[in-house]
Amino acid sequence: MSGQSASPALWVRVALLSVAIVFIQIGVVSEVPVFGVNVDLSPLFVVFVGLLCGSVPGAIAGFAVGLLVDLALAQTLGVTSFIFTLVGYWSGRLREARDPQAALTPLLVGASGAAAALVGYSLMEFMLGVDAPVSFELLRQIFFGVLVDAIVAVPVWLVIRRCLQGAMPQDPRRRRGRRAYTTGGLSPLSRAR
Amino acid sequence: MLALLVVLSLLLLTAYFGESPDGRLHGVQRDFLAVLSPIQDGANKALKPVRDLFSWFGDTLHAKSQLSQSLKQTEKLRRELVDDQAEKRSYRQLLALYHLDQLSINDYHPVTATVTGKSPNIWYATVWIDKGESEGIHVNDPVINDEGLVGRVVQAASDGALVDLITDSAMGVSARVGTSTATGLVQPKVGDPNDLLLQYLPTDSQAEDGEYVVTSGTVEPPYDSLYPPGIPVGQVTSTNEESAYKSVNVRPMANLHNLDIVQVLTAAAGSRPQRLESLAASFSSTQNAPAPGSEQLASTQNSG
Repeated sequence: MSGQSASPALWVRVALLSVAIVFIQIGVVSEVPVFGVNVDLSPLFVVFVGLLCGSVPGAIAGFAVGLLVDLALAQTLGVTSFIFTLVGYWSGRLREARDPQAALTPLLVGASGAAAALVGYSLMEFMLGVDAPVSFELLRQIFFGVLVDAIVAVPVWLVIRRCLQGAMPQDPRRRRGRRAYTTGGLSPLSRAR
Repeated sequence: MLALLVVLSLLLLTAYFGESPDGRLHGVQRDFLAVLSPIQDGANKALKPVRDLFSWFGDTLHAKSQLSQSLKQTEKLRRELVDDQAEKRSYRQLLALYHLDQLSINDYHPVTATVTGKSPNIWYATVWIDKGESEGIHVNDPVINDEGLVGRVVQAASDGALVDLITDSAMGVSARVGTSTATGLVQPKVGDPNDLLLQYLPTDSQAEDGEYVVTSGTVEPPYDSLYPPGIPVGQVTSTNEESAYKSVNVRPMANLHNLDIVQVLTAAAGSRPQRLESLAASFSSTQNAPAPGSEQLASTQNSG
């Protein structure tokens, strides 16, 4: 996490949220189809943890949520963990390297995370030997999967940010700003002199 | 840290993929299922009002789109019903002659269960149910609802079970079209939960749009079917001619998007009641001797 260590409070909140997200996903969200597909909250949660907390918490949350999903749904163990680890790490690196602050960031990052998870999952399944053609229907399902995830990305982002508030590591942009003030060059006081 | 987690995931994946269903990692998954079942059951009850609210909107839209289609289908079925009246009498006589008329779903000891969860993944079509081994549910038991075949149990814990839906990529169901004797294998079209494919039908077999596809319930070893005969699987939507076989696109009868109450047929391994086994045995012996109407009997045997 680029030199910062996540607080125990953050890990506790991420762990509780992970369990809650998986339960809500399996028990409620998966039961409600939209455009013939289901909203998948788990990749959104993973990318937003990465985007809010950094690459290491993102990767760890991705691994944990993936493992939980694979265990709970009797899927091939390791597949979802592998994909979510990479997705969580990528979003964390995005925060650390670019720290995007645009209003559309959650929507774009959420859609990208969902797309990466869906395409990655399909590739893994093909590699594991599932006998299925790359049909138009499959592409349609992936497209609509990304679309519905993008639609709910902003509300999910707001909920996750609210839940993690107070335990999150320092915002890289604010840190950079404060460092500039402490050097004296940009301080209003020094300019007044 | 990233490398460690990636390596760990790949190790898990390799070990899981390489081991048998009785292996250690599968055992961990089963234990997890046993622990999670009561929690999931409780969470399901607590979250049911929210789910019902969302489902109501979806159901209303779905019902509107189904209305005109249902009206056309009702008209078609009415005409078919009139045609079938004459055939029905002789069919009943034949069933009574071989005591097949007494078989019903109740012979398979159905256990009614509530669906408490569902997989969001297009590659895994699975649902959780709130009944398990304590109610007599075992792995491979068929699962139905009031519309037709839903799937089969793939994992069972004491108070819950995991069901693979017929649209799961790992599923295959022996089935036939309507009154035809030719059986094929119903498999899902991955990525399209509203389409199944009935494959390996002989090229000369008849299949018309709108005809029902039902489980064949094969009882001759080694081609035993896990599913009882005559359970509706879906309706034919189109036919494809292939080189050696014919395949048929089938729309599932059961609305797999919105499952709530299902029934698990728990009687014996493969869910075949004892009575049917003895009947199958008696069929084998009677088939050796020439009998009047033996062609019709073969047809009846295929259908259950």
